[in-house]
Amino acid sequence: MITQLFKKKKDLNFERTYEAPVEAVWQAWTQAEQLREWWGPENTTIVECEIDPRVGGQIRVVMEAGEGMGKYAGTRWPLAGTISHIEENARLTYDARSWTEGKEETTTIHHVNDLTLTEEGGVTVLKLNISITSIGSEAKMAAFGMKWGYKQQLDTLAEFLSKGI
Amino acid sequence: MEASTFRALGEPSRLRIVEALRHGPASVGELAEVLEIRQPQVSKHLRVLGEAGIVVVEPVARHRIYRLDEEPFEQIVHWVDSFERLWDARLNSLERYLDSVRRAAETE
Repeated sequence: MITQLFKKKKDLNFERTYEAPVEAVWQAWTQAEQLREWWGPENTTIVECEIDPRVGGQIRVVMEAGEGMGKYAGTRWPLAGTISHIEENARLTYDARSWTEGKEETTTIHHVNDLTLTEEGGVTVLKLNISITSIGSEAKMAAFGMKWGYKQQLDTLAEFLSKGI
Repeated sequence: MEASTFRALGEPSRLRIVEALRHGPASVGELAEVLEIRQPQVSKHLRVLGEAGIVVVEPVARHRIYRLDEEPFEQIVHWVDSFERLWDARLNSLERYLDSVRRAAETE
C-alpha cells in the first residue's frame, strides 16, 4: 500500500468531454462572470473573481467555505495566477499559487495549469494538466521532493517503508 | 497538512538526517558518523523529528534504531489527493454549468 502511495505523480491530468461548442467552454473559463458560476465546489461561494485574458494577464479567484462546510465555514482559499500562453478557443496556460488565507506560508501550492480544448462534431474535449511545481518554502519543497522528486530514490524509500510495516 | 512536518524538515541538518534514513534505519552513532554531526546534535534533531512523527525509534538488541515513519508522507499524499478531488468536482460542475447555459439557450 505504501509503495502505491509513493508511486503517485505530481502531475494531475484530467480529460473530459462536454456537449457544448468549444466557444462556450472557452468563455466559461475566460470570462469572470461565467467562471464564478462553476468554479467553486459545493458549499463554497466565489467572493472574488477576476480574469484578464491576455499574456501577462492576471487571474484571481477567491473561494469561501459556506455553512455546509462545518468547521471550515468562512475559510477563504485564494488563487492568484498569471497567464503565460493564450490561444482563443484552444489553449490557456497559467502559473498560479493557491493557499488558505491567513496561512500563506505553510499552505501555498505553486502549480502550472495547461488547458487545451478541441472540438469534434459539436462536442468539446477538454484536457487539463496541472503540474505541481512546489508547495512554497524550501521545507515544503523538500517534503514534496521526498514524496515525488526523484523516482529512483522514491522507489527505494517506498521499498524501505514497506518493509517496516 | 501539518505545519509541524514542514517545520521539522525545514532545518538543513534535520533534512540530511531524513535523507540518510531513506537508505535504511540507523542508530544515533551511525548517523553522526555518516553526516559528520556531533552525536548530541543528532539526538536533538531526532527528538524534533520524532515529535513531528517523521521518525520513530525502536530498540534493537541494546541499540536504539531510528527509522522513517510513513504517516507524514501519507499526509502529503492525502493533501494532494484532496487537490485532485477538488478538480474532479470542479470539472463536473463545469458540465452542469454548460448544460444550464444550453438549456437556457434552447428555451429562448
